[in-house]
This record gives sequence, structure tokens and C-alpha cells, in this order.
Amino acid sequence: MLRLLTGALTGALAAVALACPTVAQDAYVVGVSGALTGPAAGTNAPPVEGLRLYVDRLNARGGVNGKKIQLIVLDDQAEPSKAAANAKRLLTQDNVRLLILSSLSSTYAPVIAETKRANVPLMLMGAVCPKEVYPPAEALQFCTTAYAGGYDSRAALAFIKETAKEPVRIGFAAMAIPLSRGEIDYAEGQAKTAGLTPVDKEVIPPPTADYTPFATKLKDADPNWIFSWAPWVTEVKTFEALRRLGWEGDYVAWAHIEAEAELARLKDGKFYVIGANSLFQDNLPIHREIVDEAKKSNVRYPAEQLTEGWIGGLVLEAVLTRAGWPTDADKIRAAMENVKVDTQGLRGGPIEWSKDNHFRTRQYYRVYRWDPAKSAIVQAKDWVPYDVK
Amino acid sequence: MSSQPRASGYFRTSYGEDLALVGTRLRRVSLALFIATLILFPFIASPFQLDLASQVFLACVGALSLMLLTGYAGQISLGHAGLLAAGAFTVGILFREANAPFWITLPAAALVGALLGVIFGLPSLRLRGLYLAVSTLALHFVVIYLGGEYEARRGFSTGIVIDPPRLGKLFISDGRAWYFILLAAAAATLLICLNLLRSRTGRAWRAIRAHETVAEALGIGIAGYKLLAFVISSAITAVAGALFAYYRGFVSVEAFSLFLAIQYLAMVIVGGMGSLLGALLGAAFVTLFPYVIESALLALPGAQSYASLLFAVNYSAFGLVMILFLVLEPLGLVGIWHRIQSYFQLWPFKHRPAAGGRR
Amino acid sequence: MQLIVNITVLAAIYALLACGYVLIYRVSRVMNMAHGELAMLGAYLLYTTASLFVGHPIVAIAMAVVLSLTVGVLVYVVLMRRMTGEMVLAAILTTIAIGVLIRGFVVLIWSGAQQHPLQTLNFSNPSIALVGGARISTCAALLVLMTVVVYGALFAFLRFGSWGIRMRAAGQSPLLAAQRGINLNAIYALAWGLSTLTGSIAGMLIALDSGLDQTMVVIGLKAFAPALVGGLDSLVGALVGSLIVAGAEVLAIHYIDPLLSDVVPFLVLLAMLIVRPWGLFGTREELDRV
Repeated sequence: MLRLLTGALTGALAAVALACPTVAQDAYVVGVSGALTGPAAGTNAPPVEGLRLYVDRLNARGGVNGKKIQLIVLDDQAEPSKAAANAKRLLTQDNVRLLILSSLSSTYAPVIAETKRANVPLMLMGAVCPKEVYPPAEALQFCTTAYAGGYDSRAALAFIKETAKEPVRIGFAAMAIPLSRGEIDYAEGQAKTAGLTPVDKEVIPPPTADYTPFATKLKDADPNWIFSWAPWVTEVKTFEALRRLGWEGDYVAWAHIEAEAELARLKDGKFYVIGANSLFQDNLPIHREIVDEAKKSNVRYPAEQLTEGWIGGLVLEAVLTRAGWPTDADKIRAAMENVKVDTQGLRGGPIEWSKDNHFRTRQYYRVYRWDPAKSAIVQAKDWVPYDVK
Repeated sequence: MSSQPRASGYFRTSYGEDLALVGTRLRRVSLALFIATLILFPFIASPFQLDLASQVFLACVGALSLMLLTGYAGQISLGHAGLLAAGAFTVGILFREANAPFWITLPAAALVGALLGVIFGLPSLRLRGLYLAVSTLALHFVVIYLGGEYEARRGFSTGIVIDPPRLGKLFISDGRAWYFILLAAAAATLLICLNLLRSRTGRAWRAIRAHETVAEALGIGIAGYKLLAFVISSAITAVAGALFAYYRGFVSVEAFSLFLAIQYLAMVIVGGMGSLLGALLGAAFVTLFPYVIESALLALPGAQSYASLLFAVNYSAFGLVMILFLVLEPLGLVGIWHRIQSYFQLWPFKHRPAAGGRR
Repeated sequence: MQLIVNITVLAAIYALLACGYVLIYRVSRVMNMAHGELAMLGAYLLYTTASLFVGHPIVAIAMAVVLSLTVGVLVYVVLMRRMTGEMVLAAILTTIAIGVLIRGFVVLIWSGAQQHPLQTLNFSNPSIALVGGARISTCAALLVLMTVVVYGALFAFLRFGSWGIRMRAAGQSPLLAAQRGINLNAIYALAWGLSTLTGSIAGMLIALDSGLDQTMVVIGLKAFAPALVGGLDSLVGALVGSLIVAGAEVLAIHYIDPLLSDVVPFLVLLAMLIVRPWGLFGTREELDRV
């Protein structure tokens, strides 16, 4: 009897569950697929939270063009097939007019295929900007994320060349995922033309127990500078292993959102992070705004990790304001091709999109490091612009 | 195998009738109704539900092949995800390197699967139970490593994109078309499995599973049949992987984690070992389970803030359900199904007659 | 020289994890596929007790150790006990399911972000210089030391302790042991508790050395290979197997290709399964030849 009841209950639950949830008619419907949980969540979940925070605040103030924004957020756990299923669902069932993706780069291809089929623009917010958003840009892909292949390495190498006091023997550390490997290969090539001597390149598989063997190989090649462009866990664990082995050189890593808190934990004066976002220790008005908002809403993640999401929100507001009401996917895409958003200090400059350039016209980089004397994070180099061609 | 008929006054007068899959008129009618529902479904369902159904059919193919191997032949295999990956990667590699059409890649995937089946099956000749499971696990990691190496060395940074299969000028990418294709695939697999099990091979497998030494004493070539089980099962699994690749239009090594193998094993266990119906029920259950959990969570108040916990809840719930089935309901969903059937058949009685009663 | 140090540290990690597999298998012939997850749970427990008992690191560590022992015993009493007598596949799948449950549970409670128990405990992890220019971090050295201590303790316990002898008896022949009056359930619970304890110690030390997140599960899985290579019911085998696998892995990373690091343990495992399925020091089991 009990079993029958449980069975009936489950059946009823299933029936209810598989019915479609309602979508508001009188609002902008935007779909979000992100790696909210799973291995890539550390970098890709806070942007979604930041976006949600911004949109909630926007809605509380009346929304855009008098209409609210409804975000439908789905978790894809950084798995390509789940991301594709989410995209399909958001596009065909919920009829979203704009899709935002904050997930690992391996989810890009299937989601892009889905948005192409539905002719809906896609905004990449959490993970690296693919080459398709550089000029000449692909029609439906837009990217607000800070980091991007090609420019990051150039900026980092330029910084190293400028800061080094002696001839540079440079080592590289990448994670064994294709984009990281590709970027480090590119960086190696660039290093040679820049006059630096590449001595070793280590490609480290993701779930490594012990980074010491890889660090040993790197150390044996005796570099005085090391550049790493990989998910944060690889960057920082390689660095820690190197320090444990007694390596004393300088290390430059891409500033993922975890960087700010980790700089304070590592307390190492020779650990530089290069990034396109300003850190919260600068304490600009916009930073205080985000911190206040995060406190009010009891967000799960520390406020300093919400930058990408906030920028995504700024861009979303600008785009929808421009698109007007009522709107459809084409109008939104047209709006995206003409938008210019002031990042209020979160980045080095504005985000400007045009028909050909869905990345930004100028990418700015800043380098931070920990100063043991002051016991605080300091800027090692202020904004350096790079024209995006 | 034809089980006892449910109707009385039913006599079989020929071998053909005895072997028939659908014997009684009731069975024929219910089968026809069921098929009709399946065919009409795409015309009344939303695209999302269509996608769900297609996923269930895809899972059925894999679950059926695993049921053949584990439920009937009794060989434990933890390498199922590796075989799916092999099929998917065959399609990906052939498409990228040679632009091969689907009527080459699908058989090629089956061939690769069969080959891998031999490799995966070789340990089964020496090992049993635990050790066999471990060897298949090790092989899974090797296959995944090879796939990752291919992706990395050939520069497919985010995976291999595959165009939808083509019939002349027509691209098969419509949701409804895929529904029917996958339904046909699942039905074909079911028929293959049913027929295999009714044949000599099926009987040999059951004998091996029951007691190997006795089977050998009876003159059944153990080695040959064990390898055959692996080969057939792997070939079908590889084809499932190939279909998966075409359906998603995308192949990448992250999709084939150990958790996928665990999910397929769960389908077999939750469904009920030693029963093809169990494989189907298990496939449906495991595929739909995360969506049910998700909808249940979203129905609670304050839903949006739970969204980030969804994955963890899914995982925990999945583990919990597996444990519950293993501990409380070892016969699986098929056991529950049979109990429901018996309830309605025997009503108003509760128990089957003791003497003279069958089943 | 650094290579030898690296091999020793990795072998110590594997050995500590492998002895958990061996303990349970030897006593009850069950393979605990959730060992990696249990080790991870132990490390997370340490993180929690460290956050609770700030300023009293010894208390935190002691509490974490006791808690992990309890968790192991509970897993047996609540779940594995009901699976006795079921077929092998069901038992393996139950442990796998427990692993999945623990993984989800851990993310639910502690979130998937990386934690640093070292910081919470307020310890530091300086690197020590050794002979030949090699260096080792304090926590890694501690790990090697703990492996030696744990193994020594286990050997002594199994050889001389009364419960240890009972465990060996239960492992050799459960029926006779039960007839002799040995409480099998208590023995199995003890085995699970000890296994989780040693696994948690490994997990805690790894977390202290290099941070705590979900990837520890993979290490648990890789540590299964040394256990099998040495023989699933032999502690000596676990030690030797760990050395072999760790050596192969580090040398492969160094001389062939760093990406092999995930596959090498399983390749060694496969080789061993082909040549000698019951491992170097294991007892022959019902394995047939063709």
C-alpha cells in the first residue's frame, strides 16, 4: 500500500514537473545557461549571480522601457550536451529573444549551433571570448568577458619585457584543455619575436593530485619568469608547487575572479595578476555599489567576484533600452551592434560593439600584485590599451 | 522468451506460436495502441518534451546493450561511457578527416565498437566479477585519454562540430524527424535483443550467468560466448554513441565521464536486472529523473536562489535513489511493474494460488 | 634527487589511500568505490572543525579524526550491512551510489569552491631543503611520516592486537570466524571505520598541502590501481604497489608526456591484470583460465 502510494505520488510529481513553466508575457525574456555547479563553477557561477543581482535591482527600479526583465537561468554544469539541451529548451520552449552563456568554452560550439538555428543573438559572459567575436565578427556572437585569446598573451609579454631587469628566460604553464594550450602555444611564439627566451612549457591535466612533478620540470628549465594562462586552479597550484620547490622567480597569471582573494592569501610579492577588470581594493564608487547590493541580497559569492556579471547587466540594460518595446531577436541584435557602455571604472574603458566588432574596440589591461611591505594589493601597471583589429 | 500467457483458454498449437513475441489478442491490441501513442506523440508535444523523449530513446539503446552484457551474460562492465565515446569519436573523426556521410560512419562506429568489444572482453576470459569491472574501468580511462589526445593534437579546441546527417539535399535536423529516427533505433535494438535472447546465444548467455562451470560442462564454449556478448553489446553501444554525436551535432570528451557509465549502470539496476523491459524503464527513469528534480525544486518558493544548488541536489538525489533501489527493491522497476500487473490481474484476490499456479 | 622525493610523496599518498581499499576488501571482500569520496569528506570535516575551533588546531584535528571514524562506521551500519549476501555487482554499485551521494552532499554543504584548511588552521607550510638540492614541503613530509606510522600501526594491530587477529580470521573464513564467536558485524564496522580513518588522514594532509576541492575524488580512484597491483588483500602489496605506480607515473610525466599522468596508473593496472590478476602479494581467488 505504502509502495503504491509512493509510486502514485512520484507519478503525479513527474506529470506536474514535465508541464511547461509559465513565461511572463509582459517582460523581456532573457535565457541564461551557466556552469552554476560542477568543476567550472568557480569562474562561471559568480557572473550569473552578479547578473541576477543587477537585473533584480533594475527591475526594482522599474525595469527597462517600463518593462521588467525576466531571467530564466539554467545550469549546464559545463557539459556541452547539457548546455545544448538548455539552449534548445530556452530557445524553443521559453522563446527567449537573447541567450546569455556563462560556461566553459567547450559548451560554445553546440550552443552557437542552436542559436544560429533559431537566429537569436548569443552573449558570452563568463568564459573566454572566442575568436569569432573579433573583427570581422560572426553575426550572432557577442562577448563581454574580460579575457580573450591572443591579446592577453601580448599584454602579458609586453609587461614582462618591460618589468624584467635582466634577460628573460620565460616558462609557460597551461592546462590540458585546448584553449589554454592554444593560447600558450601562441604566447610561446610571440615570446620569441619579442626577444624573450622560452625555456619550457608545461601542459597540466585538469584533475591533478600533485602539481609537484610538473613544477619540477618547469623549475629544472630554470626560467626567471613564468606566464600562465589557464583556469585559476592550474595557475595558482603550479605557482604554489614551484614555491615549495624553492623557485624564486616572478610569475604572471591571468586574473580570474578568484584572484583578489588569493593575492591576499598567497602574500607573495612576485606573483602578478594581469587582467581587464579592476580589483575591488581600488574602492571605486562602482565597487562600493556592488558590495552594498550584494550585502542586501545575501549573495552566496564574495562581492569582488561579481564584476563580470555586473558588466553583463550594464550591457544588457543598454541593449534592451536601445531595442525598445515590443522587441524581437532581430531588433535586439541590431541594438547590440550599436551599443556603447560605460563600465564606470570596472574596466579600463567602455565596451563598444559595432557591426564588425563584437568584442570591444579597445581592450585594456592592468597588472596587480601583492606588496608585502604595505600588506596590500597594489597596481604594478596601470591601464594599457590595445586596439582590437 | 515467451512467458506464460495471461489469458486462460489459450493453447499453442505450433512452435511458431510458442516462440511468438506477441501471442494473445490483448497483447496485440495493447501493443498497437502503444505504438499508435508513440507515433502520435510528436504532433501534440512541445519541442522540449520531444527532446526529452528523443533523449529517452537514445538512452534506451545504450541501456539495452548494457542489459545484454550485464543482465543476461553476467559480465560487469564499467566501461560503457568509453564505448559511447568511441562511437561518437568515430563519427567525429570520419566526418572531420574524410567528410564521410552517415551511411559510412554508422557502420564504421559499429565496427570500432566491435573491435573495442574484443579488447574490453579479453579480460573477461580470465577475470570475473570485481576484477572484470576494474579492467573495464581502466579501459574506459584509456579510451577517454585517446579521445582527449585527438582533440588536443588536431586542434579542436572546444570539441568537434558535426553537421546533421544528410539524405541527398535534405538535412535531418528537425525535432520530429529525430524523434522518429531514434524511436526506430530503439525499436530495432529492442527487436535485435529480443531475438538474440530467444536464440541459442541467449540461452548460452543465461547458462553462463547462472553457473559458468556447469555451462562449460554442458559443452557451451564459454570464451566464445563471453566475447560475443562483449562484441555485440559494444557494437550496439558504439552505434548509440554515434547517434548521440549526430543528435547533438557535437563531440567532446567531457560528455563521456565516469558518471555517464554510472548512469547507464543505474538504468540497468534500477530497471531490473535480466529484463529488457527493465532496461527501457530504467532508461526512461534515469533520463527523466534530473528534470523531475529540477521542476520539483523550482516549484518550491524562493526557487531562483536554489538554482545553484540544483546540481548538488541532483547528484545527491541520484545517489540516494540508487541506494534505495539497491537496498529495498533489488528487482528494480520491473519488479514494481510486475507487482502492479499482478495487483490488477488478481484483483480482488491478493495472492496467487499456491499449488498449480505458475509464475 | 627531486624525482625520488616526488615519487616518495606520491607513493605515500597512494599508499595511505590504498590501505583503505585493502582493509575493507580483506575483511569483507567488498570493493569500496566510494573511498575517494570518503577521504574528501574527511578533509571537508577537518575544514569545518578548523573553522569552528579557531585557535585550537589540535582539537580541530582530533575532532575531524573522530568524526571520520564515525562516518565510516555509520556507512557500514546503515547501508553496507544490508548488502551482505547480494551479488558483487550490487555491492559495487551500492558503494558507487554512496560515492555519488557524498559528492552531491559535499557540494550542497560546502559549495564547490576551493577551500584552504591550512589557512583556517593557521599553519604554515614551508619547504624543507633536503640533500641533493631537492625540496619537500612540510605537509608532504608529514604525509610520508604518517604513511609510515599508519602502516606500522596497522601491521602491529593486525599481527598482535586481539581485534586485529579477529579481523584476519574474519577475512580468511567468515563462517568459521562466526562460529568461533567473533562478531562479524562489529569486525566489518571496525574495518570500514579504520579504512575511512586512513583515507581521511590522507585527504586531510593532501588538503593541507595543496588545497581542498572536488578533484580529490580522482586521486581516490587512481589510488585503486596500486591497491590492485599489490593485491587487494595485502597491506604489503599496497605499499609495494604504490611505489611501483607512483614511480611509473612520475617517470612517465618527466620523460614521456605529462598528460599521461591520469592514464598511467590504469595502464599499470591493466598490465597487472593481464599478467597476474590477483596482484603481487594477493591470494589467488576464483579466477579461471581459458
